[in-house]
Amino acid sequence: MSTGTMDETGGRLPVQVGQEQLMALLDHTSAVIYMRDADGRYLLVNQEYERLFRLRREDIVGLTDHDLFPAAIADEFRANDRQALAGGVPVQVEEQAPGEDGLRTYVTVKFPLVDAAGKAYAVCGISTDITGRKQAEEQVRRLNDELELRVRQRTAELEASTQELDAFAYSVSHDLRAPLRSLEGFSQVLLEDYADALDEQAQGYLGRIQANVNRMAQMIDDLLHLSRATRTQLQRERTDVTALAREVTAELVAGEPDRAVAVEIDDGLVAHGDPHLIRLVLQNLLGNAVKFTAHTDDPVIRMSAQPQQGIDVFTVRDNGAGFDMRYAPKMFDPFQRLHSTAEFEGTGIGLAIVHRVVTRHGGQIRAEGEPGRGATFRFSLTPAPDDWVLR
Amino acid sequence: MSDGPILLVEDNPDDVLLTVRAFTKNHIKNALVVATDGEQALRLLHGDEPLRPALVLLDIKLPKIDGLEVLRRIRDDDRTRSLPVVVLTTSNEERDIVDSYRLGANSFVRKPVVFEEFVKAVNVLGVYWLLVNEPAPTGPGT
Repeated sequence: MSTGTMDETGGRLPVQVGQEQLMALLDHTSAVIYMRDADGRYLLVNQEYERLFRLRREDIVGLTDHDLFPAAIADEFRANDRQALAGGVPVQVEEQAPGEDGLRTYVTVKFPLVDAAGKAYAVCGISTDITGRKQAEEQVRRLNDELELRVRQRTAELEASTQELDAFAYSVSHDLRAPLRSLEGFSQVLLEDYADALDEQAQGYLGRIQANVNRMAQMIDDLLHLSRATRTQLQRERTDVTALAREVTAELVAGEPDRAVAVEIDDGLVAHGDPHLIRLVLQNLLGNAVKFTAHTDDPVIRMSAQPQQGIDVFTVRDNGAGFDMRYAPKMFDPFQRLHSTAEFEGTGIGLAIVHRVVTRHGGQIRAEGEPGRGATFRFSLTPAPDDWVLR
Repeated sequence: MSDGPILLVEDNPDDVLLTVRAFTKNHIKNALVVATDGEQALRLLHGDEPLRPALVLLDIKLPKIDGLEVLRRIRDDDRTRSLPVVVLTTSNEERDIVDSYRLGANSFVRKPVVFEEFVKAVNVLGVYWLLVNEPAPTGPGT
């Protein structure tokens, strides 16, 4: 054994790498290293092995795993040894061995030592503790399962509440309208059959009853529309918003033959959303624009889109009656109106529907207006990062 | 020209009154027979001495046997398979419309709240189903 020492002349002797140096390496690694002969008797273990199993190398040499470990574990070690000896190539396996606080898991590389004649005479093993990693993997798997379960529960809850909404809307559809029909019908019967007995004022009162019945029927229908906008499943697809807007515009214009309204829809407007629900949004926003420009000379309505930090923002602008910004915060509430029925008809459900659809798409909506100078509605249909605010 | 009776299947007495009135206002001469629930309707159509109506006006929300079940049994029976059936009801929920047509309704009409509109609707229905439309023949050999 030579070390880097000085010779007689004071010069350094070259370092020779021998057993002492190699054992030093083996004894300072965190891997567990060991060597056994073809019969499974220990030839060598490193310091980490000693520390882990609280054995001394002098005591182990010559013993087998069956002398040191429970049978099941010893059997596994022996089997893996045999595999390496027989195969003649390194094998990698996962093994378990007892540790301080229970079984620990190791990834082990075992390879044979082969003599000049090609016969395997010993097997070497290098084992690394992967218990921590395995625990982390198990944790992840458990969290995933929990998450899946929660998703399934939420979906079921959502389906249940959608079904309730469905049943509610259905019952409203039938049960609330029938009495309204009777109220309206019998008011009409009175007007027709008792016209002689009813003076003008009485007939006027009956007229008021009928008007209110009508209004209530309209509100019920509007609530049903609003609930449909919530109930129907949102199915996103690439939607040609330009084409949809032009269709809706054509329908609106056809419904107002006495008016000439200039509606410009920009080309190339596209959204990734539910076309049925987007149509609802367009019907209401464009419909409002047409409605509120009724008393405007040269009414102009325009729909366009611009990206804001990568998110498409659609704009519908008109130069009609506009509104007072002081009342803007409530304008998306159901049945909230900013104009009297005498000025413009309507029950105030349209914007509530628009707001519901936009929100369901994960988007935002903003309205700006000035009395007498028109209104601008800006909305997005894509979920955005938390700090993105529609301008 | 169909001059058989019109079978009105309707459980709401107010609706019956208003419907009779609407037919009267339209000078529709056909007799109006009223069944106030599904069971009674089927007894009239499939019992002894069955009624052979020119038109059936069917509400779908009925007590005991509901309207859609009545429709199914009307279509299931050879004697009444080709009867003109107009579903006349309050709801316009898509589900109801789809189910009605699937079970063989000839038409689906949502009853308007405004009575004058209802009178106009009855007029149109009467003209079409009793005058314009050719019903399936019911004579011997068919």
